[in-house]
Amino acid sequence: MGEKDWAVGIAELKVARFPDSLSAIGLGSCVGVTLYDPAAKNGGLAHIMLPSSALSTRGFIPGKFADTAIEALVGELRLLGSPPEALQAKLVGGANMFKALVSHSVPIGLRNATAAREKLKALSIPLVGEDLGGESGRTIQFSLGDGRIKIKQLNRPEFWL
Amino acid sequence: MPSLNEFQLDALREVGNVGAGNAATALSQLTGQRIDLSLSKVCVLPTDAIADFLGGSDSSVASVCLPVYGDVTGVVLVFFPLDQIHELTHTLVPRAGAAAPTTEGLSDIEKSALRELGSILTGAYLGALFRFIHIQILHGLPELVMDMAQAILDSVLVELEEKEDLAIVIETQLMAQNQKMTTKFLLLPEAGSLDHLFKAFSNTLGLPGNG
Repeated sequence: MGEKDWAVGIAELKVARFPDSLSAIGLGSCVGVTLYDPAAKNGGLAHIMLPSSALSTRGFIPGKFADTAIEALVGELRLLGSPPEALQAKLVGGANMFKALVSHSVPIGLRNATAAREKLKALSIPLVGEDLGGESGRTIQFSLGDGRIKIKQLNRPEFWL
Repeated sequence: MPSLNEFQLDALREVGNVGAGNAATALSQLTGQRIDLSLSKVCVLPTDAIADFLGGSDSSVASVCLPVYGDVTGVVLVFFPLDQIHELTHTLVPRAGAAAPTTEGLSDIEKSALRELGSILTGAYLGALFRFIHIQILHGLPELVMDMAQAILDSVLVELEEKEDLAIVIETQLMAQNQKMTTKFLLLPEAGSLDHLFKAFSNTLGLPGNG
């Protein structure tokens, strides 16, 4: 009783404790980064849009970029009592829905995923699961009881990562 | 945040009416049957209100997306109701069999017809903008995506990182064979472009800009 599901909008990041959960609706080329401390059952979710804060143009928001969002999540989880060495990461999203719009040779979804992997590696946080790419958007719900992520897509049965 | 005053909204309504009329003529000629389009709504929406306007973040929608460039750069999205998608494609390219399939599956011809419909509507509205406010916007090739509303917006907003926080919206009711379907046209301009558009509205009307 009393558990709450926290929606994490585009370019936002949030942390929470069991029994709450964290959700992101309609991840397209954005990537959802989850960090989870299995012992303390604390977790965080970032809904990142772009690979690097070097691409920041106006009004810098840490949750928007893979590098700064992961750093901010690690910092907030530390405040909840979960040090970086207790954390495990998962990555979901990074679809390539519109081919004609893509302005770079490498689609943004893939660049987001690559940047997130590199940042996790630099922070020595193990990547324990990923569901990336494809052509469809994803809605995710991150359960803080066991760290699993429920993934919904339009033309695929719901499944747990 | 810039917005349109009543006079500018009237001008946008005129653009919508003329564009819808021209698109209806083109579609009627193309399909050999009567297709009517009537304007049901014209507005300027903040981007964070678009998902609700489309029926909610996780509602399933069909969308034709076209990059636009010229005096205004950005993206046009034309939305069709996914629950009526078979009625819509049947109007454009009638099926041989009587019963429409129950799955989401659309044939290549049907997908192509939807892309063409998105293109015709976009061409008609952009043409009307040129006629009324002398602003020239060209569009690129249409792409069709069927997905959650928020996932479509998310992907478009990422590509338009320097986006304006507003979208120009023209909603019309498409009527054919006693069916009524809502089409939603959204123009999402890149930074600087919306201001340019508003100024063009003001100049044409001989009114001071309010942006």
